Amino acid sequence: MAAADAPSATLRRRDLCNRGIRLARKMRSDIADLLDIYVERQGLDASASVAAVEGVPVAATECWSEQTGTQRLLDNLAAYRSFRVLLAQMLEEQREQLGDADTTLGRALAAVLLQVSAFTYHLEELLQLESCGPPSEEGAGPPALPRLSLFEQKLRGLGVLRELAQWAVRSVRDLRQLAKPGPGSGSAPGMAES
Amino acid sequence: SSADSHIQYERVGADVTMKCGSMDWDAAVTWTANGTDIDDSHLNGSYLILKNVDLTQSGQYSCYEGSSWHLKYQTYLRVGTPPKEPVLMCRSNNYPKGFYCSWHLPSPTYIPNSFNISVIHGTREMVCEKDIFPKNRCHIRYLQLFSTVKYKVTLTVTNALGKNSTTLTFDEFAIVKPDPPESVVAKPVPNNPRRLEVAWQNPSSWPDPESFPLKFFLRYRPLILDQWQHVELSDGTSHTITDAYAGKEYIIQVAAKDNDIGTWSDWSVAVHATPWTEEPKHLTTEAQVTETTSASTSSFVPPPTTKICDKGAVVGSGAVAVCWTAGLVLAAYGVLFI
Repeated sequence: MAAADAPSATLRRRDLCNRGIRLARKMRSDIADLLDIYVERQGLDASASVAAVEGVPVAATECWSEQTGTQRLLDNLAAYRSFRVLLAQMLEEQREQLGDADTTLGRALAAVLLQVSAFTYHLEELLQLESCGPPSEEGAGPPALPRLSLFEQKLRGLGVLRELAQWAVRSVRDLRQLAKPGPGSGSAPGMAES
Repeated sequence: SSADSHIQYERVGADVTMKCGSMDWDAAVTWTANGTDIDDSHLNGSYLILKNVDLTQSGQYSCYEGSSWHLKYQTYLRVGTPPKEPVLMCRSNNYPKGFYCSWHLPSPTYIPNSFNISVIHGTREMVCEKDIFPKNRCHIRYLQLFSTVKYKVTLTVTNALGKNSTTLTFDEFAIVKPDPPESVVAKPVPNNPRRLEVAWQNPSSWPDPESFPLKFFLRYRPLILDQWQHVELSDGTSHTITDAYAGKEYIIQVAAKDNDIGTWSDWSVAVHATPWTEEPKHLTTEAQVTETTSASTSSFVPPPTTKICDKGAVVGSGAVAVCWTAGLVLAAYGVLFI
């Protein structure tokens, strides 16, 4: 069944993509605010370099323009499912460290976690429309980490939020590609031609 | 005999001693600068002494044996300075293709300089391809998008008198700045004395506006006022101004920005336009307005005696303050229609 090509499916996809773009933009804005709060509350330097953290989905890609629509959705879905787990971990750690002493950071984390969950659901809907359905979540989360020191936890959290911010921008671009008329492969010029 | 000939670089303010090749100190020689004999007061034996050299002393210096006038030594003296810290700028006006870096020296050195640029992204060194023109620019292709890893660009400038360098560190999004919109056109709307239609095009350097759409910022003001009005437009490449002052010439500019990242472009070239007006009736007093005005109000034009409202009354809003003079004219119309 070529559901993805039927006019109503095309309109539905475009509608979902446009809503997803709005979600991603709002998410990005809230992540930026959360980063400011996080850096301040955790006593970190905003410009501190954080090495790549195991288990955090990296938004950087060398083949963005060549991806098909389905690949974009799958990459996004895998990333946000991981972020959902990572943010929940951060929230738990924050509560362990600070208890009820800092509700501002806790509230900001919870708000972004909610948006990430909503966006994940949104991506699953889009994948349903692509007739491939979202993959199951078994084993899809980030690997279990050894217990980190408090400072390591803070740095890791900074890395998570920074990468999430990049993903929010990438998601807007991905959804825009997907919303384009056509089969939804949405390859764009711009990257180095091979 | 053949003479030594080479280029000699010296700093401004330095004391320079030139030997006449292999001639003894007590040999009789004559020195010239650019073909003109140099006074003996500048000589110490056969050595030429130039104290506290300045830029005007750059030139060709030659030493001749006293009796035979054989050329024994020749050098081209270039007086200059070591380079100051260069000014480096990097920008992406063609995202997501890549970015370019350009540089210049804050002050001239007066001698040749060479520039070397290195671009590091994480552990990877990237190639910055130098442009043929202008010479002080090179461009880099993005190999990755959406990276959190910063780019580190180091420019080193070297000349015969020294070297200097500067480093820029930035992330992918921060340097994105499109070129200004192109082909901005503004024109009046027939039979609409308060409207101006403005249209423009995406900058031609922006490679894929469909996938990476731009948003725009339009500013406009009548020439006679200093305060700009602003409109931000999230899509489209046209806009109709609906609150222009009738009959007043406007100046209009547009800027562009990627919808999600980076900074606003510079303002476009300014265009001028005046809203549509009816044929002027050359009215000079309110009394003439009441005698000659027709029943139609759609083409109302304030008479020349109408004063421009105070700036403070119109700053920042589309509403037009009603001036007392315009109020009189409106009252006159009311009387006429009654």
